[in-house]
Amino acid sequence: MQQQLIRELVALLGPKAVLSQAEDLMLYEYDGSVELGSPECIVFPSCTREVAEIVRLANRYETPLVGRGAGTGLSGGAIARNGGIVIAFSRMNRILEIDAANLRAVVQPGVVNLDLSRAVEHLGLYYAPDPSSQRSCTIGGNVSENSGGPHTLAYGVTSNHVTGIELVLPEGEIVRIGGKTIETPGYDLNGLLVGSEGTLALVTEITVRLTRKPEAVKTLLAVYDTLDDTTETVVDITVRAITPAACEMLDGFTLRAVEDYVHAGFPKDCAAVLLIELEGLTEAVEAQAAAITEVCLQHRAREVRVARDDRERDLLWKGRKNAFGALGRLSPTYYVQDGVIPRTRLPETLRCIEEVSRKYDLRIGNIFHAGDGNLHPLILFDERDREQFKRVVAAGIEIMTFCVEVGGALTGEHGVGMEKNELMPLMFTPEDLDLMRRVRAAFNPAGRLNPGKVLPLGKACGEIRVQPMPVSTTIPA
Amino acid sequence: MNRPAQASITRLEDFVGGAYVLSDPAELSVHQADGKVPSVVVQPAVVAQVAEIMRFAAAEKLTVIPCGGCTKLGIGSPPARYDIALDLSRMNQVLAYDPRDLTLGVEPGVRIKELLRTLAEQKQFLPLAVPFADRATIGGIVAANSSSPLRHLYGGVRDFCLGIEFVTGEGVISKGGGRVVKNVTGYDLHKLLIGSLGTLAVITRVNFRTFPMPPAQGMFAASFSDSESAFRFCRAIAQSVLTPQILEVADPGAAHFLFSAETAARISPQHWSVIISAAGQPSVVDRYARELGQMTSAANAADFIPLSDAEHASILARICEFPRLVLEAVPSAVIFRIGVLPTAMPSLLKDLREVAKNWRLDLATLTRASGIVYAAFLGEEENEASLAGIASAAKEIFHICTLPENGAQAMLEWCPAKLKRAVGDPWGPWRRDFELMHRVKSVFDPQHVLSPGRFASEI
Repeated sequence: MQQQLIRELVALLGPKAVLSQAEDLMLYEYDGSVELGSPECIVFPSCTREVAEIVRLANRYETPLVGRGAGTGLSGGAIARNGGIVIAFSRMNRILEIDAANLRAVVQPGVVNLDLSRAVEHLGLYYAPDPSSQRSCTIGGNVSENSGGPHTLAYGVTSNHVTGIELVLPEGEIVRIGGKTIETPGYDLNGLLVGSEGTLALVTEITVRLTRKPEAVKTLLAVYDTLDDTTETVVDITVRAITPAACEMLDGFTLRAVEDYVHAGFPKDCAAVLLIELEGLTEAVEAQAAAITEVCLQHRAREVRVARDDRERDLLWKGRKNAFGALGRLSPTYYVQDGVIPRTRLPETLRCIEEVSRKYDLRIGNIFHAGDGNLHPLILFDERDREQFKRVVAAGIEIMTFCVEVGGALTGEHGVGMEKNELMPLMFTPEDLDLMRRVRAAFNPAGRLNPGKVLPLGKACGEIRVQPMPVSTTIPA
Repeated sequence: MNRPAQASITRLEDFVGGAYVLSDPAELSVHQADGKVPSVVVQPAVVAQVAEIMRFAAAEKLTVIPCGGCTKLGIGSPPARYDIALDLSRMNQVLAYDPRDLTLGVEPGVRIKELLRTLAEQKQFLPLAVPFADRATIGGIVAANSSSPLRHLYGGVRDFCLGIEFVTGEGVISKGGGRVVKNVTGYDLHKLLIGSLGTLAVITRVNFRTFPMPPAQGMFAASFSDSESAFRFCRAIAQSVLTPQILEVADPGAAHFLFSAETAARISPQHWSVIISAAGQPSVVDRYARELGQMTSAANAADFIPLSDAEHASILARICEFPRLVLEAVPSAVIFRIGVLPTAMPSLLKDLREVAKNWRLDLATLTRASGIVYAAFLGEEENEASLAGIASAAKEIFHICTLPENGAQAMLEWCPAKLKRAVGDPWGPWRRDFELMHRVKSVFDPQHVLSPGRFASEI
């Protein structure tokens, strides 16, 4: 990178807000995925105006720009694939307004997801989207990826909770879309921007909906001796039109790892458990709990346990939300999948994953948002073993292909990023992808914003041409 | 279509067959938009035909307005040109319905009334209690983002539409979203089409998640002597643990559109009425009855009445059909759809009443407590002075909405064609994000052949 650009950035933001030493850059070359890419500098703006100035500077120097929140993303969204400047939003972490009467909050992109819920807890409110990384991930990152979480089964993903966004366009122009009201005349630009993975604009302020805490919460743990009984229960809950707030599935392999790590009281000798949460009015929760218990027992659940208090409930959720970390203790690296299937296809999908595990001789742990058909098979591997890594990639593709073939999707909440962009043709025709490219070009004509993400790389993409970079680039040479 | 009309009609007949290219005046008149009559009506049966028609239209620069039940062609600005009415009513199949998975894929010409009947057989529904229920089609409902009182609990179209297949202005078949309830793969292009009024693409398939019918429902009416009390009561509900599926506030002007003679005898039409509906287990509905009763006494309500099933059905149907009932009674009515925050509702409604009074217009408002006000200003069409008054009032309303204390977003949804030019852009004052919308338009429809001029900022 031109030293002159770094000098100009320092002049703009001050020396403390610009990092460009090799040891600093290393800390920003990865995120929660298995991807890698080295930026040339990291900047920490403190306000929208500074973001706009950085964008103008980057334009002058024709340098790529990548927005970054906490770097917890699971598809490489925050990685500087083509180098350039990483704009880290960690200093833009203020909650600007809490409007409890209208159930709105206005936040800067660097606000940590859980911090917003904590800030409104005393008002009986919370922010509904709850990714497992909510203790560290930021709302700006959530907006980029359209993040979900266990409770999106009942409350929807980030897109359902954003009413307004302030953007900095790649030209450096600041524009607001939407607002605090539930609708704004014109095209639904919020709908387009949320989940655009930082490829259309940089998000500098977000207006979100707040949700009132339910009167009653009940958390059930159903324990099974076979996977088929577990998945059939999920299908039956959907078919009977019972809508829990969350319906999570963990298989026995994962459970044992979780129990050894978190000591949440999960039985270690079972095939799988369902963690089901019900929320609402006391009467509704009681009725649903009875109905769900009946379904579980009909499908031969060994036991249906109800969390007795908040402590027990928190412990069960701690187990679920730390499951990735627990499996991480068993192997040097893991590769998380995020496919989605129609919910009724869960039993056969799980059998497919078992088969893939055998075929490629890989250990796969299954942690699913089962209620909405969003699967997180975790493939365990050792990244130093190149041959094994090839099998991991092949296994991942086979699982994702299966998901798409049964009518599902490549990603339910983690985003496409640089991990699945080459797999987009599984779901989309060349015409679909061309239209998306043109939409991107309408916002980001020079392709300078988060290059190499979402869409397959190709001659038509209008970006700096780089070699297709499948996940295998993470392997040290 | 001027001189080459016959040649164009022959080409269109090649695409869909002679029987489905209509040009008799009666048919053309049915498809008129703001007084503009198309040169021809084309009725494709499959998406490939839609694509052929659009490719032809783009090549020949013929303008196309997609339509189904033709119930909402009056929404938006008058079209700049109108050659072809693309009538999708033959594309009326349910393509996929998996009741076990609670997902659905339908063609755009499916009528909502029939679709709801199909879903009801499986004890499911879509929360689309929309106007023109007998004729409205899914394509039109999505394209106009029709508002439903059920959005209070279930959200708007964008919240339960999973994906859309469409044909662009260049005749390219494409899609956004998917068929599963959770999906972040690629850009959510389908969301752009919701409310785009046929200006970006022709919708050829819509995928939804469906909802299980609640085991029990109940509707209640509370009456208040003034708007402040009515809205205070709504806020009390919002701050409670109750989550009604409908929460609407009708002013006395709206009462005679909403209450039949029988219901009007029970619910005082002189008052502000709050209509609440609850759904869930019978024990849940009972609890709403109990707690709402207590809350109304605390809020000094003049009355609180649990409604019978027949009254429930009658009022719900009239709430859904509110714009239509107003337009049928007063064809010159102008109806604003205004996005507003709950705390600003009393001040906005007060300002709206003031405008109505100044211009000697009657006013009927129906407010979705989640944040939408329908405000109908009623004058006499024959009277030129009244028409001028309506136009001036409309301009004032756009101004009032922008005031900081109101912070509202207004769109003039219904307005007589001859008044539209006088009131300016029905989509409201210019905003910076309109420029981004122009960029989107130029991607989907670079030749500007789809519904040109109907959308905001002359898109």
